[in-house]
Amino acid sequence: MARVLAVDPTLCVGCSLCALTCSAYHRGEFSLAGAHVTVTRDDRAGLFTIAFQSTCRRCHRCAEVCPAGALRSLPMEGVMENGA
Amino acid sequence: MGRDVFQGRVLEVDLTSGRTADVPLSPGERRLYPGGLALSAFVLGRQQAGADPLGPGNNLVFAAGGLVGTNLLTASRTEVSAKSPATGLFGTANSGYYWGLELKAAGWDGLLIRGRATRPVYLWITEKGVEIRDAAGLWGLDTWRALARLRAEVGDDQAQAALIGPAGENMVRFASIQNGPYDAWARTGLGAVMGSKRLKAVAVRGHGALRPADARQFLLLSREATARVQASPFYTAFARYGTMLAASPYGAFGALPGKNFQVGQLNGWEENCTRKMVPQLSKRGIACSACPIACAHWTRVSEDLALKDLEVTPVFCLGAGLAIPDLKAVARLTAYCQQNGLDIVSAGSTVAFATELFERGILTARDIGFEPGWGSEEKAMALLESITHRRGIGDVLAEGTRLAARQIPGAWGYAMEVKGLELSIADPRGRWSTWTFGYLTNTRGGDHLRTRNPVENLRYNENPVPYRQERFGFDAGMMAGLEMGEEDRAAIFDPVTGDVDIPRMAKWSEDLIALYNSLGVCIRPPLLHTLGPELLARLWAAATGVELTAAEMLACGERAWNLQKLFNLREGETARESVFPERFYREPLPPGGQALDREAVRETLAEYYRARGWDPETGVPTEATLAELGLAEGPCRTS
Repeated sequence: MARVLAVDPTLCVGCSLCALTCSAYHRGEFSLAGAHVTVTRDDRAGLFTIAFQSTCRRCHRCAEVCPAGALRSLPMEGVMENGA
Repeated sequence: MGRDVFQGRVLEVDLTSGRTADVPLSPGERRLYPGGLALSAFVLGRQQAGADPLGPGNNLVFAAGGLVGTNLLTASRTEVSAKSPATGLFGTANSGYYWGLELKAAGWDGLLIRGRATRPVYLWITEKGVEIRDAAGLWGLDTWRALARLRAEVGDDQAQAALIGPAGENMVRFASIQNGPYDAWARTGLGAVMGSKRLKAVAVRGHGALRPADARQFLLLSREATARVQASPFYTAFARYGTMLAASPYGAFGALPGKNFQVGQLNGWEENCTRKMVPQLSKRGIACSACPIACAHWTRVSEDLALKDLEVTPVFCLGAGLAIPDLKAVARLTAYCQQNGLDIVSAGSTVAFATELFERGILTARDIGFEPGWGSEEKAMALLESITHRRGIGDVLAEGTRLAARQIPGAWGYAMEVKGLELSIADPRGRWSTWTFGYLTNTRGGDHLRTRNPVENLRYNENPVPYRQERFGFDAGMMAGLEMGEEDRAAIFDPVTGDVDIPRMAKWSEDLIALYNSLGVCIRPPLLHTLGPELLARLWAAATGVELTAAEMLACGERAWNLQKLFNLREGETARESVFPERFYREPLPPGGQALDREAVRETLAEYYRARGWDPETGVPTEATLAELGLAEGPCRTS
């Protein structure tokens, strides 16, 4: 079933497990700079932004390891129903 | 660069000459010292004996944990070590967040800083190398302002910095090195060492990659580690409440460090200072790199103050220690310590020491400049300010409680320290356990973070005399789940009751924690009882290609522990220093804690030395033990 990635940066805790896992799966190395997803920290404000590179392959491994619900892999149908 | 996440590369910077060098470990050394604490103990151990902790001959070592930068959960932590200006012994502290990851992404595992600059400087480290830069515009700033200016200067708002505040600049002997805005290498006064070198900050940013020897295998094992930790009965509670989980039990035991360890319970504690308050003050956690637990909490204190906070250590040391059972007041005092670069434990203990001296008429309002008092945030803040800037009595207190007590007539006996390091959390009279026994065995002095029973049960508070055992009380599955050799298991757990042998558990857990601090993994409870040397050895092999047995992996921790002990012995530590403050042997702790039995404590310690393969009287490692660990020759054996 087609799935969609739901992103909610307000839930992000800033661990970067998404980016570390992404780079390891796709490149065989750990690199925040080499990942298809980037978490940027505004640590004095306790805020995070999440951005995806155009190279992202939509594999959703980032969502599998996100502990905070900031990235979630949802069935496309459910999202469309919710959005309707 | 080969496929190995631990290259053993140490960047050396001499602040006196301005020279820098890239010094790799040999393959043999990389096998013995897998990063973090093991690496820092090895590198620092080579410095000349007898260095003045605040002189140019004392080196400062930063060592990222060997697995930092990978996606192994919590592998974020970096050890910083130097000869301590507080204890004169092996000073060392461990902290997470992102500094270590950036150092490794810049291509180094460690950093050795020698000498002293002629004017304030900071280091800027990237994969291109290191620059020694002028810090005139940063010196004197608090850490929050300095961090913002530093990031603007290097043009990168994601740069990480280890930096000192005014307390470090003024060489307060319990100054911290702050790690970003809220975290710290807090204990043993390492911020004063940075201040003595006129080094305001070490900023770092890397864009490189770490390549595991077997990436696919590492990902599988990393996933296994996460699954194990998430299956821990502690995981969900820890993710929600963090270390605040410990606040309520220790209040109930009557083991708080209340009013400078004079009372074990405090009015209003349960209502105002325990985990119940967490959801009221915080809606979400803030994580270190690679950590799904996010145990620290983003806390809104007031319109103009929000910070990463709600950790049990400041709540014990500032809240209980100063009798201020108010989490917002504790947060404001915590923020002061973060901004000015003070170790919260020693700062709280030193303020409590001064307050008790005033209470007893040993210090007067004239000596201090005002009347301190229990329960007063304002008076506590005023004392912290006088310490930070070494003003008036603050100049004496800035030496730490042990040295201050030598200068203040009548103050001996009120310094709550072991080996010169102020005690942190629980009072052993209210709770005798592997944890509180560890104040005596910890190589860095009176501290709670390096000796701990991973299966400690906070539902019990029974102290079997003579102090050798603690109740276990969990189901057998939890005990069986520990990755522990059969010989150790038989020696540590009573075969019938399952009770824990404190001296042997102390030794085993110290070795495991030293291994964690070497690999960069966090010692929080959901990990400590689930990730053992067997899985860590498999992860290490997948990460580096170095195959070690579980026993060899754990021996890396034991080696690091012994190396710190050798450093301490070389710098003059004697067995006489492994004692609690006199108060603990003479006074009961209200409401229910009994004074400690001196002889029973001594015997427990002798048993610990035996378990370590050290002389039971002197606590000196035997030659046989050192030979077994590969330490017969090398660091700290020649000077």
